[in-house]
Amino acid sequence: MATVFMKWLESRPLDYDRGIRLLTLGRLELLQAQIVDRLIRDGMRVLEIGCGTGRLAIAMAEKGAQVTAIDISPTMLTEAERRVNQFELEERINLKLMDASLIGDRFEAGYFDLVVSSLVFSEMTPQMRILVLQECLRLLVPDGKLAIIDETLPDNHATRLIFGAIRLPLRLLTWLLTRTTTHHLRDFASMLSNAGFSEEIVISRLGGSLQLVIASPADGAGIYILPATVLGRLRHRTTLRTLLLDLWATFLRILPPYPKVTPGLYVVGQPDMDSPVLVTGNFELTVRRLVREIDNRIDAWVLVVDSAGINVWCAAGGGFFTAEKVIGALRVSGLEGIVRHRALILPQLCANGVDGWRIQQEIDWDVHWGPVRAEDIPEYVVSGRVKTDAMRWAKFPLKDRLEMVTVTLGFYGLLILLPVAVFWRNMLWPVLVSLVGLSYFYAVVLPWLPGRDGLAKSFSLTLISLAGLLVYIVIWDSLPGQYIFNWVLGLTALSVFTAAELQGMSPLMRGEQANWGWEAVIGAVLGLIYWLIPYTLGWR
Amino acid sequence: MLPKKATMRSLLMEHWELARTLRRLQIHFDSDRCRGVWQCYEVCPIGNWTPDYDRMVAIFRNGKQCIACGACVLQCPEKAIELRIPDG
Repeated sequence: MATVFMKWLESRPLDYDRGIRLLTLGRLELLQAQIVDRLIRDGMRVLEIGCGTGRLAIAMAEKGAQVTAIDISPTMLTEAERRVNQFELEERINLKLMDASLIGDRFEAGYFDLVVSSLVFSEMTPQMRILVLQECLRLLVPDGKLAIIDETLPDNHATRLIFGAIRLPLRLLTWLLTRTTTHHLRDFASMLSNAGFSEEIVISRLGGSLQLVIASPADGAGIYILPATVLGRLRHRTTLRTLLLDLWATFLRILPPYPKVTPGLYVVGQPDMDSPVLVTGNFELTVRRLVREIDNRIDAWVLVVDSAGINVWCAAGGGFFTAEKVIGALRVSGLEGIVRHRALILPQLCANGVDGWRIQQEIDWDVHWGPVRAEDIPEYVVSGRVKTDAMRWAKFPLKDRLEMVTVTLGFYGLLILLPVAVFWRNMLWPVLVSLVGLSYFYAVVLPWLPGRDGLAKSFSLTLISLAGLLVYIVIWDSLPGQYIFNWVLGLTALSVFTAAELQGMSPLMRGEQANWGWEAVIGAVLGLIYWLIPYTLGWR
Repeated sequence: MLPKKATMRSLLMEHWELARTLRRLQIHFDSDRCRGVWQCYEVCPIGNWTPDYDRMVAIFRNGKQCIACGACVLQCPEKAIELRIPDG
């Protein structure tokens, strides 16, 4: 939260140190002292980016370091110069007016033992951060160190909220005073690793909002620059947005518009030219689940193909995910110039719509059908694309059945319950309980019910639900004949509906249309009985 | 605007036909054309195809479990597999 005042404080160098000390509650000085204690040795060459009034530079020089200190503000440098003279450290500290992005042009490669910087990186644009970090890597000796103190966005959600609440008024005030705004570092760790550094020590203060990061050039680090066609790095994260999307996906997934990911090339981890290329559709949930399973496990290029925001199996079946689209996406991605192999890993479940041979013949990329489930991908990739039978067979485990029943209930449940709530309000709870109970019961016992498809299984489900009704009548309540009649019809209808609906959600049964005709017939017969019998018995 | 009656009826009939077709589709495998590429084995999510490494052909083993997704039909380079409505 300190840097929000910085632009304003910078114009008053004399107040600067005092202001910063106050805003960081003295923690900045403590972290700077850590740098001096841990890293400074006599005679080492240090570059300080953004020295401000020279406090840290002086402390390092006093311990024997040869410091080159740069800053972009002339007023700050004037003050720094005054202090350097005061401490008589002109021999040890070389002050320069310089923009951080130019350090690569102004200093020799491999010249510095240490590069330090406090509260500067958060002021840079993301592109500049990447550039400066890469230049730092170049300027450092192989066993050199990088020490950065900066504002970061706390990982913890609660802390982040408090952080945001405090930050807002400060941000507003700073903008009013100086018409500038500042930024905190987000995901600095991955930016460091992208630039070729490996993090060694992280010291957090102020609830994680102020951090000292000490890093060194990673072993064998080449400079890692993402190809220009890459749209971004996909990471597994839980945020408010993903939680809301999950909530939506749990209940109303079947309703369009389906949330989409911009199609194109992404990276997971730090892929190189030998890393695998994974192809997937652009349904948000699909991409997120894929990333959840592979992030931090493998490095890969992820080619997100426009599948109209539909999952790969349905999109392929419906003609939204085709060889044509994969070929097009591959061309746009420029992957041919990025990787030196020609192997695509496609989801096995899109094989019903993506013609693998066409991809091979037209653009000469080998198509490999990956595992059915994303969780098997790391093992599949690490083993050199060995696919076990367990990886290639679709299953419908209890977890998936419960999830799919919930998805079905979210929409169709509403469709059934709304009219009931409007026209037969006194029946709402019994119907709700029957529908939900029947659905989850069915999801649990599905594999043990006889029959191959939903319609066949609905027969035994109906018998079970009617048996349940009988037990209820015998034990608790002997209902009048008319009620029993209604319940028998109602439970039969709900059973058929439940079993038939889940069929479309199951990977082990033919599509939902398969029994549509019979469902319509059963519905019509039930309706006819509902109207005719009371009429003949004189109930109406 | 609601579609006209005739259109609605034809749509329903079309759906009925599709439903009937989907229910009855069966794999028809011309094993003479098979030369053991085993893409069917690679893509079948049900495990209906197994490779026969000796004879270099694929074996279709369980028609009942087939969900008629059509993956093997599309991926077979020899066009040896078809989804058909059985005669009669």
